[in-house]
Amino acid sequence: MHISNYRRRVKAVFLICFGFLLLCVSRLFYIQFFHSSYLTSIARKQHNLFVELEPRRGTIYDVNLKPQAANMPVDSLYAVANEIKDKDKDAIISQLRAILNLSPAYLRDRLYRKKSFIWIARKINPQQGEAIRKLNIKGLGFLRESKRCYPNSYLASQIIGFAGLDNQGLEGLELYYNKYLKGAPGWALFLRDARQKKLDIWEKMVLPKDGYDLVLTIDEVIQYIAERELDKAFKAYHAMAASIVVMDPHTGAILALANRPTFDPNDYAGVTKDQVRDRAICDLFEPGSVFKIVTASAALQENRVTETDKFFCENGSYKVASHILHDHKPHGWLTFSEVIEQSSNIGTTKVAQMLGSEVVYRYARLFGFGAKTGINLPGEINGMLKEPRFWSKVSIGAIPIGQEVGVNVLQLANAISVIANGGQLMKPYIVKEIRDKYGETIKSFSPEMLHKVISLETADRIKKILVLAVENGTGRMARIPGFSAAGKTGTAQKLEANGAYSHNKFIATFIGFAPADDPVIAIAVMVDSPHPVYFGGVVAAPVFKNVASDTLKYLKVNSSSSRTVNPNETNKINPGD
Amino acid sequence: MKLNKFLSTVILATLFSLLYVYQQSEVVRLAYIGQKKQAVFQDSLDKNSILRYNINRNASLVHIGNKVLGYADFHMPESYRLVKLNPPGRETTGTNLTADKENIFSRLFGITRQAEAKTINP
Repeated sequence: MHISNYRRRVKAVFLICFGFLLLCVSRLFYIQFFHSSYLTSIARKQHNLFVELEPRRGTIYDVNLKPQAANMPVDSLYAVANEIKDKDKDAIISQLRAILNLSPAYLRDRLYRKKSFIWIARKINPQQGEAIRKLNIKGLGFLRESKRCYPNSYLASQIIGFAGLDNQGLEGLELYYNKYLKGAPGWALFLRDARQKKLDIWEKMVLPKDGYDLVLTIDEVIQYIAERELDKAFKAYHAMAASIVVMDPHTGAILALANRPTFDPNDYAGVTKDQVRDRAICDLFEPGSVFKIVTASAALQENRVTETDKFFCENGSYKVASHILHDHKPHGWLTFSEVIEQSSNIGTTKVAQMLGSEVVYRYARLFGFGAKTGINLPGEINGMLKEPRFWSKVSIGAIPIGQEVGVNVLQLANAISVIANGGQLMKPYIVKEIRDKYGETIKSFSPEMLHKVISLETADRIKKILVLAVENGTGRMARIPGFSAAGKTGTAQKLEANGAYSHNKFIATFIGFAPADDPVIAIAVMVDSPHPVYFGGVVAAPVFKNVASDTLKYLKVNSSSSRTVNPNETNKINPGD
Repeated sequence: MKLNKFLSTVILATLFSLLYVYQQSEVVRLAYIGQKKQAVFQDSLDKNSILRYNINRNASLVHIGNKVLGYADFHMPESYRLVKLNPPGRETTGTNLTADKENIFSRLFGITRQAEAKTINP
């Protein structure tokens, strides 16, 4: 009886245990086969942390590998609003307001959001970060990010442009070469500990691909010289705007390019479009007398005149169709050379009338006017040059002297380079190469000749005339002590809104190169609406002189032999040379 | 025999499990140590980057130019303030004239003229 009871009880316990075991097994079976993916995903979320790995944005260097745009690690402040008690928030707002200079309304809006992560201020400076760290506020944290910085402040700012908060290019080369500079982000799945803290153990990782570096043709020193002198003229003559381009006439490499007004890319928040615009390639203006180099070159190349041929300049007044043309001072008989030297509008028009509109137009196009130069910078404009079929009867008295045409400063620099280098139109370029972080070249840009414009002999003849223009003509203020220079002045009336020429707004220009016998640099200067003085020979020519003088000294060009020396090889130069 | 085999298998499995757990905990411990060192290293790298940037900024021509133009009252002198000096090779100063006239006897007996003033036209 006892035994049978005992057995029954054992069986019952066994059955209960077996039933419980079966329940567990079936539950496990259910979890393993029907619920596993859901639970795995939850576990993965708890154990792993997906982190996007930021690539290093490429550095922008000048020709001597001095950094012009680099990355700097900075802190960004975030808040875990849920962790901050409501009663503490007002005190935190007043503390942060004092350090970060942010409005209380903005901070209140951020801190009172029911979010686990919210940015308070991104990319703050180290002093601000240190001050906030000292407050030791629970619920505030820092993330390390990289900020784009420009050590040279405003220098070449319109060329380089700037990158935004998320390191994406917004202007200039930062925008144009963004796809090379930005790199590709990577990602990693890091393990997390029980406190949800990231561990440096990753399950999977794809490394970020760093951005490529840009090496420019710009030389920081020449750029500084150009900006300094341009700034002086801009301020002294209360100008509306000013631009300068310095280039190597033999290769088309841009050594300096500057505009006024300008801006500091480190602080781009309040900049205007006027400050950001690269006027040297974006702004169109009538060049005035500097355009006479086209007419003169055409006349000599076509063998229609010689330097000694004489032209009667009508004592300063000459009727072309319904328009009466004037010279800035009356001239009688002038040789062709003197017509250019003295910048006679009437003499140049008579030369153009001999040539005809087709020839003048053909040479203007050959010199690169009316078309993009193809420089690797964003925002370049074509310029404006009418086909002869659209010329009015007055046009033959306007276009050859630089009216009714629209050019930019880069086109002028490229055109004067044609005379300097013996007649070749080069394609200007500002990026020398794209390289990876190990210095391996990814892409390089080399000098490219677009076409032959005039013969070497014609270029030499024009060069001599332009030397005389600087020595005896309108460009006397461009004379460089110790060096010979060639150039041409220009003073063009600006167009008013009603289409008439202004009597008090002018554009002063100067284009030239130095040394004249073996040119190393070609320069184009434009000053928009200078006053009270407005002549190109007075306003723009001294800028050319000062920039050329200092640049030639910097490049160690020997004044007697015009020999160039690499600036990096100064220790090899014999001072007695 | 079967029980012995079963027990040794269980012990072996337990040992391997313990070893695996120990290995995992070591990995995590080393990760914590590595993380601390990485933070120090990263901090040094960041400080280095900031210092490099500051050096670049302070050494930039714009910065130096502003300092020079801001603190030094430098102007190019007017031409009337300049004194022209002849190149050393073609110099005809009083000293040179005296030296020309010196010979071994005059030097030996000290009979040279002590000073000879002569004006130079600029």
